[in-house]
Amino acid sequence: MASIATPAVVMDNGTGLTKLGFAGNDAPSFVFPTAIATNSNFSGKPSAPLNRPRRSGPSGSGASAINSNLSNNNVALKRGMEDLDFYIGDEALEACNGPNYSLSYPIKHGQIENWDHMERFWENSIFKYLRCEPEDHYFLLTEPPLNPPENRENTAEIMFESFNCAGLYIAVQAVLALAASWTSSKVQNRVLTGTVIDSGDGVTHVIPVAEGYVIGSAIKNIPIAGRDITLFIQQMLRERGEADSSLRTAEQIKQNYCYVCPDIVKEFRKFDNDSQKFSQYIVENQNKTQKKIVDIGYEKFLAPEIFFNPEIASSDFLIPLPTVVDQAIQSSPIDVRKGLYKNIVLSGGSTMFKDFGRRLQRDIRDIVKQRIEASERLSNAKSTGVEVQVISHRRQRNAVWFGGSLMAQTSEFKAYCHTKQDYDEFGPNIVRNFSLFSVP
Amino acid sequence: MLQLQSFNLSVEKTLSELINNESPKSFDRIISDFDNTLFHISTPESKTQILLSIYLKCFDDLVRYGDINSYLANIYSNYNILDTPEPGYNFSIYLDLVQFKQNFSIDQQYEFISKISFLKRNCLAAPFEKAINKYNELSLDFTKRQASLQEKHSIFKDITQSQRDDADSAEILVINYRNDESIYIKPSFDRVTVIFSTIFKDETDKIFGKVFLQEFVDARRRSVQNSPQVLYSHIEPPLELRSLPEFLDLKSSISSSNKYEKGFVTFVLFPRHLTSQKRDNTISQIQLFRTYFHYHIKCSKAFMHSRMRSRVLEYLKLLNRAKPDFEEGSKKVERKTASGRRFEIRN
Ligand SMILES: Nc1ncnc2c1ncn2[C@@H]1O[C@H](COP(=O)(O)OP(=O)(O)O)[C@@H](O)[C@H]1O
Repeated sequence: MASIATPAVVMDNGTGLTKLGFAGNDAPSFVFPTAIATNSNFSGKPSAPLNRPRRSGPSGSGASAINSNLSNNNVALKRGMEDLDFYIGDEALEACNGPNYSLSYPIKHGQIENWDHMERFWENSIFKYLRCEPEDHYFLLTEPPLNPPENRENTAEIMFESFNCAGLYIAVQAVLALAASWTSSKVQNRVLTGTVIDSGDGVTHVIPVAEGYVIGSAIKNIPIAGRDITLFIQQMLRERGEADSSLRTAEQIKQNYCYVCPDIVKEFRKFDNDSQKFSQYIVENQNKTQKKIVDIGYEKFLAPEIFFNPEIASSDFLIPLPTVVDQAIQSSPIDVRKGLYKNIVLSGGSTMFKDFGRRLQRDIRDIVKQRIEASERLSNAKSTGVEVQVISHRRQRNAVWFGGSLMAQTSEFKAYCHTKQDYDEFGPNIVRNFSLFSVP
Repeated sequence: MLQLQSFNLSVEKTLSELINNESPKSFDRIISDFDNTLFHISTPESKTQILLSIYLKCFDDLVRYGDINSYLANIYSNYNILDTPEPGYNFSIYLDLVQFKQNFSIDQQYEFISKISFLKRNCLAAPFEKAINKYNELSLDFTKRQASLQEKHSIFKDITQSQRDDADSAEILVINYRNDESIYIKPSFDRVTVIFSTIFKDETDKIFGKVFLQEFVDARRRSVQNSPQVLYSHIEPPLELRSLPEFLDLKSSISSSNKYEKGFVTFVLFPRHLTSQKRDNTISQIQLFRTYFHYHIKCSKAFMHSRMRSRVLEYLKLLNRAKPDFEEGSKKVERKTASGRRFEIRN
C-alpha cells in the first residue's frame, strides 16, 4: 500500500474557495470556488424524484438508472444521466451563464448544507481534477470549529462508502492554521496553543486553541469578511460613477491595491496632498480590444479599515476586530491566556492585506496595556506584562490547506487515520474521535 | 462528466503556469494520476530549469513488453530526455525555460504542454502499440500464407487450423499496473484480446460491477454492435490466460486471489478497432477502462445515496405530519403516567 506513488490527498472545502492538492506540496494544485452547477431539471433536491410518488420502489428504478449511466448512446437518453451532468468550480460559474444550469454553493458558513451536491463535488474533485483512485490514497479533510459530529459521520459515510477511500483524517481548520504558522521565523517553539483569526469570504472567526483543542465557548464570529469588503469597494466605485463597477473589478482592486494604514485621518491627508497616491486599474474585455480605466481612491485603505472600524460599512455590527480578539482571549481559561496572546495567527484570504498583522498587533497591545495599567492602579502591584504577538507568514492565504499538507506528509499520518477496514468494522461513529496529531 | 480524460489537467495547468510566468520561481510539486502514477515537477538547480519526471508502477513491465524507452524517445524527440532519469522516477524531461522560449513558437509551446499532459497515456500505450503491430504482422502473414495455400489447392480447413494455433502462440503481454491488478494483452492474427483483472474492495461494488458488466454485454446486443466484444468471468481466469505461469495451477491461483475475488474482463478488439485511424482512440479508451469502471460504480453509489437521502426526507415529512397536535385548544388533555396515575394539576 505504501508506495511512493500514493501521496495523501488534502482537501480544504471552504465556504468560498476549495483548495485541493497533495500532501508534501507547498501549495494546493487547484483553488476554485466551492460551487456546483447542476442541470436545473435535476436539481438534486428532494423535489425531483419525489414528484413521482408512485414508483415501483427504490430498488427497481434505481437499478435501471444505474444501467443507463453506463452507455453514452441513445439508451442513456431515455433515463437518468442527469446525475453526471454538472460542473464544479470555475467551470460551474461559466456553465451557469447558459440556460440549463443553476448554481449553488453546498457549503454555508463553513458547514456542509447540501450533501447531495457535496458528494458530487467531491466525486468530480477527485476524479477529474486530482485524478486519483480514492482506494489508493489517504485523505485529509478539514472542518470548521464546532462542526456537529453528525456532519463528520456523514462525511465519513461518503468518503468510505461511496469512494472506498483507503483512510481518512478530519482535522479542525484552526488547528491546521496553527501548524502552518510554524513556517514563520517568528515561531520558536512549535506549540498548538494560540488564537487563530480565520477570515474567509463569508465570516471571520476568532478561535482560541489550547494544546490542539479548540476552546469552543470562547469562539467569536464576526459577520465581516472578504465579501463585505468587495461590496464596499463596489459601492464606492458606483458612487463615483466609474466606468466599470462590476464585482470582478472590485475583487481585483481589493486583492491588488488595498492595504491597512496605521491611522486613517493621516492617510486621508496624505492622499489629499499627494496625487501620486491614487492609482488606476485598467479593465480589459475578453479579446483585449476595449479598455476601461477605473480610478482607485480612498478605498485603497478604507476598505480593509472595515475590520478595525466596522461602522464605516455596517450599522449592525460595531465591535472592531482587535476588541473581539481580546474578548475571545479573555473568555478563555486564565492559565492559557498568555499563550493565546503570544501566538495570534492569521489565516485565510481576507487577512492578506498589507500590514494587516502589524495594525492588529498594535491595537491589541494598546487594549492589553490599558487593562494592565488599570489593574496596576487598582492593586498597586507591578504586572509582569503580557506579550502580544501577531504572526503573519507567507502561506497565510491557504494556511489551512498548507497545515494539512504538512501534517499529512509526516510518516505518522497514516497511523492517525481511520481506515476503510476500521470503518467497515465499527461503523460511521468511529470518526467522532480522531486522536490529535502530536507533531514532531 | 461521463468520460474521463486521458490527459492530466493538473500537469497541464502547472506547466502552462510555469512557462507563462514572467518571473520564474523555484518550484517543487508532485502530482498524481490514476494507477499509482506520480509526476514530479521541480526546479532543482535554478529557477529557469525545469525537471519533469514520471513514475509508473508498471514501468519495468512496460520496458519488458513495450520497448517504452524508444517509444517515448520517438514521441518526445524534440525535447531533452535525460538518459538517467531522476532517482525514484522512470522517465525525465529537462526543460531550460530561456532556451525553450527562444526556440519554440507559442504554438509549439502549447504542443509541448499538451504532449506532456498525455505522458501517462503514452507510457501505457507502448505495449498496446506493440501488440497491434504484432497483430498487423500476424494478419499479413496469415493472408499471405492463405493465398499461397489456396493456389496449391490444399485442403483449406485443416491447415488454417494449424496456422491458427501457430498464430495464437504469440506472447501474452502482462502489465502489472496496480497492486493485484493486471492488464493482459494478446495479439493474434485476427484480433487483439485485452484482459483486465480487477478486484473489488467492497462487497457492494461487486454487485454494482456485475450489473455494469451485464450492461456492457446487453448494450452491445441492443444498439452498439460496433463495440468490442466483452466477456466477464468471475474468479476463474479466461482460457487465454491459462498458459501463464501464475494461472497454470488453477486451484492455488484461485485460492490465493480469493481474498478479494478477482474478476476478469475480456475485451476483444477486432480489425475494425485497429485501423490506423481508430488505433489511437482505441488505445486511449481501453487503458482507462479500469478507472472508468470503478469511477462509474462510485458515481452510481453517489446517485443511490442521493435517492436514499430524499427518501428519508420524505419519510420524515410523513412522520412529522403524523405527530398529533397538542396546541390547538387542547390545554386540558389529561396526562397519565405509565401506571395510569393522573397528574394533579395545581393552579
Ligand atoms: N490577496 C488578497 N487580498 C485580499 N483578499 C483576498 C486576497 N486573496 C483572496 N482574498 C479574499 O479571500 C476570500 C477567500 O478566502 P478563503 O480563506 O479562501 O475563504 P474560505 O476558506 O471561507 O473559502 C475571498 O473573499 C477573496 O476575495
